[in-house]
Amino acid sequence: MTDQVIVTENLVKIHYSHFLRRPSRALQGVSFSIARGEAFGLLGPNGAGKTTTQKLLLGLLKPTEGTVCVLGHPAGDPRALDKVGFLPENPYFYSYLTAHEFLDFFGRLFNLSAAQRKERANELLKMVSLSDAGSKPIRKFSKGMLQRLGIAQALMNDPDVLFLDEPNTGLDPIGRRDIRNIIKGLKQQGKTIFLNSHLLPDVNELCDRIMILHRGRCAAEARVQDIATSGNYRDLEEYFMDAVARAEQEYNEQQATAAAATPAKV
Amino acid sequence: MIDMNSVIAIALNTFRETVRDRVLYAFLIFAVILTFAGIVLGTLSVGQSVRVLEDIGLFTISTIGGVIAIFVGTNLVFKELDKRTIYLIFTKPIRRWQFILGKFLGLSLCILIITALMGGFLMVLTLANGAPASSMSNLLAAVGSVYLELLLVIALATFFSTFATPLMSVIFTIGLWICGHLGQSLMSLGSMSESGAVKVLFAVIYYALPDLGKLTELRFELITPPAAGAWSPGAVVGHFGVETLLLLTTYVLGYVVLLLSLGTLIIERREFN
Repeated sequence: MTDQVIVTENLVKIHYSHFLRRPSRALQGVSFSIARGEAFGLLGPNGAGKTTTQKLLLGLLKPTEGTVCVLGHPAGDPRALDKVGFLPENPYFYSYLTAHEFLDFFGRLFNLSAAQRKERANELLKMVSLSDAGSKPIRKFSKGMLQRLGIAQALMNDPDVLFLDEPNTGLDPIGRRDIRNIIKGLKQQGKTIFLNSHLLPDVNELCDRIMILHRGRCAAEARVQDIATSGNYRDLEEYFMDAVARAEQEYNEQQATAAAATPAKV
Repeated sequence: MIDMNSVIAIALNTFRETVRDRVLYAFLIFAVILTFAGIVLGTLSVGQSVRVLEDIGLFTISTIGGVIAIFVGTNLVFKELDKRTIYLIFTKPIRRWQFILGKFLGLSLCILIITALMGGFLMVLTLANGAPASSMSNLLAAVGSVYLELLLVIALATFFSTFATPLMSVIFTIGLWICGHLGQSLMSLGSMSESGAVKVLFAVIYYALPDLGKLTELRFELITPPAAGAWSPGAVVGHFGVETLLLLTTYVLGYVVLLLSLGTLIIERREFN
């Protein structure tokens, strides 16, 4: 049996507005599982529910219905989080800290000893090419440096599962290549990667499998290799566009049917 | 076993943040106010300059400490939510209570240092103005009671910052801090009413709010010299016995624990959109 590290079943998330408590369905019955060592890409247009899904997996949100399991524990359980690394989108870090202090802080949260923290921080700063900036205050970091530091903090505990939310957003081509190479290296180390991204070429290069969300539902799921070899699609972008267009058409048809079934107001 | 490593990590980070925000410079404001007051009062209040200096000093420590506690404390959790650094914290294996306690302890450490600096400066100044060295233990205890009160202010600010905006948190914290000092007056006001319901209402408010008037009373006793004879170090507290002191400390710390527990409950239920 394959070792599944992430399993979600019939995930539903309803957000309520602050004052009138109006419900809006962010996710509607999403189920998927990710095997150990797999790189999984979650794609979708803005507002499709990608970030909501990721937050549910990390325990930052609670599901309205359904279950989320990470490494055999409910999402957000400290036993699962102990083996998880997370890079949020456009991360804001503590600007008053230096890179070394920042990594040391997160090392403490993982109960690493002082010697382990120091060794790991040096190792990671070297890995993300920030060795020379270790003593520099974070407020002086460029966007690319911040993103690389974000990856370093996500790896402080040598995690089994990595959640990366738009890791290449706002980076120049060189920065994007660097981050891509780091993620490739992590994949080769056998880490399970959950990648949330809009950048289809990066997803194509990094992921084994993708899932496309559309209006909170799964619009398509496929192995990246199969998309390339099927001959039906030129590339991932064409597959994505087609899946979203089909899902949108289906949604419009459902809306029209629902409107026809509702008695008109006089 | 309770894991305190994460609490210490959060506390140290909060302490670093506060110190690097140059909050400790508030000590310089205190030093200027007090030195100026010492010079002016030395010429105005013949024979009472030490007492007046102590009064002004303790009031200034309480005010400066309170202002820092309120303005930093009300931002403690809110800033993490606003800047979304909370995503990084709560995706690490820590419990929500560890986060709240760490935040509280970090700011408490900062306020402890600034209170100690201000208290030390006040002692030096009162000694220079002719206060007997044996009275310093009383002054130290009085500064300690100010710190105890500030702990409550930090806990109030931390609690409100878990659900309210900084502006609202500042208003709520200042409001409750002031009400805490008016507890006895509220009780008297209630007893003057002929309506039983009003009496009950004021009594409920009195018992729900921390009564900080006792701490002020304690400070007054501590810095009032005995009618005759020398200062008696150690046996300092006028009609306040050691038991009363312990009771007061437990009372205030009880409120602190209650507020932090409520803050934890709120943050436990909270989702991070």
